[in-house]
Amino acid sequence: MKVKLWGTRGSIPSPGPETIRYGGNTSCVGVTLSDGSLLALDAGTGIRNLGLALPGEPTRLHILLTHLHLDHIQGLVFFAPAFRAQTEIVIWGPASPEASLRDRIARYISAPLSPVEVRELPCDVSFRHTPETEWEIGPARIRAASVAHRGPTLGYRIDDGDTSLAYIPDHEPALGADIEALDEDWISGFALARDASLLIHDGQYADAEYPDHIGWGHSSLTHALSFARRTGAERTVLFHHDPLHSDERLDRLGAEARERWATVGGRPGAIELGAEGGEYEPRPGPGPRSPAKAL
Amino acid sequence: MTQTQRPLELILARNLMSALSTPAFLVDEGGLLVFYNEAAGMLLGKRFEELGTVGPHEWGAMFGPFDEAGEPIPYDELPLVVAVRNGRPAHANFEIRSTDGARHTVEASAFPILTAHGTRGAIAVFWPTAGEGTGGAAMNGADPGSPNGAV
Repeated sequence: MKVKLWGTRGSIPSPGPETIRYGGNTSCVGVTLSDGSLLALDAGTGIRNLGLALPGEPTRLHILLTHLHLDHIQGLVFFAPAFRAQTEIVIWGPASPEASLRDRIARYISAPLSPVEVRELPCDVSFRHTPETEWEIGPARIRAASVAHRGPTLGYRIDDGDTSLAYIPDHEPALGADIEALDEDWISGFALARDASLLIHDGQYADAEYPDHIGWGHSSLTHALSFARRTGAERTVLFHHDPLHSDERLDRLGAEARERWATVGGRPGAIELGAEGGEYEPRPGPGPRSPAKAL
Repeated sequence: MTQTQRPLELILARNLMSALSTPAFLVDEGGLLVFYNEAAGMLLGKRFEELGTVGPHEWGAMFGPFDEAGEPIPYDELPLVVAVRNGRPAHANFEIRSTDGARHTVEASAFPILTAHGTRGAIAVFWPTAGEGTGGAAMNGADPGSPNGAV
């Protein structure tokens, strides 16, 4: 499995000289499975560059949406493969009692917000609600589960051979809960991330910013580190950066994360901040891996 | 992935209940008592952390509830059980017994936690009533179609 970050920003695209290194595009992660199958995790503005990087030949790919907030779907109408008749795209996402996945996405891909309608897309596109049980794409086993965020929101786990990726970009597991004290089965998203080779997780706020954003659906640095520690992920990439955080601010947050991780006995290199263009090849770890002490 | 995970709806319900001063109880889709909050623990005389997850028979032996004659109310007739099994709200008055032997008359309202994937469990809130400890198990707002109205 190979993983590439195409968009690491949360909430709204944030291009500019102050966000060049970590990137300004919103959530999108490309995953190439061991048989070459291609997945896109979310379709924020980062998916535009993912699409441009794909060859022009006929392609089948799956887009796994965590939820339908704009920063996770905004890139769909700028995804070049969607405008090729040879492309087959399967879009997975959360069910809602209110409307089908297709109809909810069509609210964005329609006038007046979009110059094209879903039915006008040249590609072969289909929409599927994620099942409650594990399913397969190529050699990978995929599992989706609801996680704590605003509105119907999923996290994903992808197991390919002996490696695993957990993707939970929008997540507030500490809302009204002490995730250092709770039993594992009472922590939102725990089963998705448990012992993952690579965990990509919400790390939007500095601790000092979180009190003004309780209930907004995102994690503070402490919460993200605690979640990583409890789940025992081999390597954690903090993601969904706040649009107000410059490269310099993120550098400081990253240094704080590494320092605090080391303080509780965490393995060096196991915590980092995701940067646009970052590439990973998750590998199973030697385990046990997480630091024993609470944060 | 083999680790079991509570449904998110139960996790969020527990988080909310933890912040309430109203005694509240949470059962899973199988009717197992999986959590009660501190206020409920004060009523029962035992914190949830001391008790842990318990099945209905163990729960009944310790705390009841009991009808006006002091007899245990059948499990199937408890508001929480009706809510989780039938997917609708239920209400009742009854007595419970705390660990020090004191009896408390309470009103209990339960409602199911319904999701797109079915019933995940149920929540009940208990309201200690005036004159508690004097017995009495009058049913308020009971469903006339339910067994002996104890829902």
